[in-house]
Amino acid sequence: MENLMHASRLSLQRGDDLLFNNLNLYIRSAEITVILGPNGAGKSSLLLALAGLIPADGDLQLQATAMSEYSRMEIATKVAWQGELPPTEFGLTVKQRLNLASDGEENLIPATKAMEIEALLNRPLAELSSGERQRVELAALMLRPAPIWLLDEPTAHLDIKHQVQCLNMMKKQANAGRAIVTVLHDLQQAMAVADQVVLIDGQGHAEAGPAGQMLDVDRLASLFDTPLIRQGKLLMPEYGDGI
Amino acid sequence: MNQSVKWTMVLVMLIVAALLCLGLGEQWINPFAANGQDAVILWELRWPRLFIAFTVGGLLALAGAWFQVLLGNPLAEPYVLGVAGSASVGAVTALMIYPESALLMSVGAFVGAWIGISIVMAFAHLGSGRMLLAGVVLAAFWSALLALLLALLPRSELGLAFAWMMGDLSHSDLPIPLLLLTWGLALVCGFFLSRSLDALLLGERHAEALGIEVKRLRNRLLLLASAVTAIAVTAAGTIGFVGLVIPHLMRLLFGSLHRAVLPASAIGGGILLMLADSVARTIVAPSELPVGVLTAMIGVPVFLFLLLRRS
Repeated sequence: MENLMHASRLSLQRGDDLLFNNLNLYIRSAEITVILGPNGAGKSSLLLALAGLIPADGDLQLQATAMSEYSRMEIATKVAWQGELPPTEFGLTVKQRLNLASDGEENLIPATKAMEIEALLNRPLAELSSGERQRVELAALMLRPAPIWLLDEPTAHLDIKHQVQCLNMMKKQANAGRAIVTVLHDLQQAMAVADQVVLIDGQGHAEAGPAGQMLDVDRLASLFDTPLIRQGKLLMPEYGDGI
Repeated sequence: MNQSVKWTMVLVMLIVAALLCLGLGEQWINPFAANGQDAVILWELRWPRLFIAFTVGGLLALAGAWFQVLLGNPLAEPYVLGVAGSASVGAVTALMIYPESALLMSVGAFVGAWIGISIVMAFAHLGSGRMLLAGVVLAAFWSALLALLLALLPRSELGLAFAWMMGDLSHSDLPIPLLLLTWGLALVCGFFLSRSLDALLLGERHAEALGIEVKRLRNRLLLLASAVTAIAVTAAGTIGFVGLVIPHLMRLLFGSLHRAVLPASAIGGGILLMLADSVARTIVAPSELPVGVLTAMIGVPVFLFLLLRRS
């Protein structure tokens, strides 16, 4: 395993509010890092900072060189980011959108197959459901040869079958040596894929550690401020008497 | 329908529009066999007018396409955003300071256009809907300011100011070779920017993540679109909605990639303005309608239709 990225004493702000302080984090090849935390804690912001898309305080090194030393184009060859669904007003088709992520037509085939969007290639993005658009975004990510992939809720909008496919794809990419950093909301999904976990509590703290240690039932229950129970390999919320 | 068929269609339209623009007027002139007085009208009046209409229409359509990407909203265009209005204020201010100087009027229009778009851009972080709204309100402000300036303008300058405000292709304050050069340069700039512009269709974040220096690109686009708007407005006054209707039609025809949309708009805008001008000077002959009146009469219903369809 190779260290691709190193954040030390990283802190992030949104407006005047401190999101978190003093995060130390290594992003390594062939490893999946899952970011967990309540709404608004700064999970997406952390991804954006790792992609160099928003400024962060502290020290952020990409392949042993400070992030700020790179041009946008250089960062783009090393880090690929999947985030919000792009706007549809201008009538881009699926194929045109994918071609913006990659030049080669021949690369399209494996990615479109993996995300099962072959039949959608000539349709405008505006005509697709949000799940289909999410699959297009994942296929667009798969076209990027960058060694680090950052994914912001990749399973959002997806039905259960495509959620599983998406997680398998991430696992496969990590096994092939890619560094994967992903925001997830589903604890089962996090447990299924995580090698490393970053917990952001929304009160100014963030911490990274090995999955086995971080995905602890008490720890997560206090992080999300919700009672959780463990059943075998599953972590479930305790729904209480109301349901 | 493949790309070459579509391009052939556009070129056929261009030739038809050019022939109409040369032939139509107070009296019909055969563009291929004009003699005597007809030849004088053809060469001294109608050919220059054709070039003005073609280049101004093309420039307005290009500016519209750029503003739309810049603001991430396909309803943006110089007229709707009030940029044409602020350019008018700039031009008339220049006319007040130093009457009858085309050069100063151009500088005034350019500065006005730039100020107008800068104010609109200050609303960028609030989302494209509010930005468009800001543009619409600003447009009303500029027209009020313009009315004030016109009230103060010496009577002798009024005719010039009015003709210019409603769109006037009968003469240009800028030399025609300069207009053609601007048209060509704008097209070349558009060609080099087209891939970055395509990426910007995904939103700024995505474009940046793909390696585009978005801030630099936005500044360039802003400068380019303001300059092109200012030159078009200076040459022919304020002519609305070409920048809205043409890029929209060209996207329907060619898809949304700028490699095709920009050159098609540069030609399509020219076609629309040549046709509009042919009609404007024919239907009430021997008098003339201001061409801006005609494009607004076509443009406003199209704009409303697009608004309805989007919701």
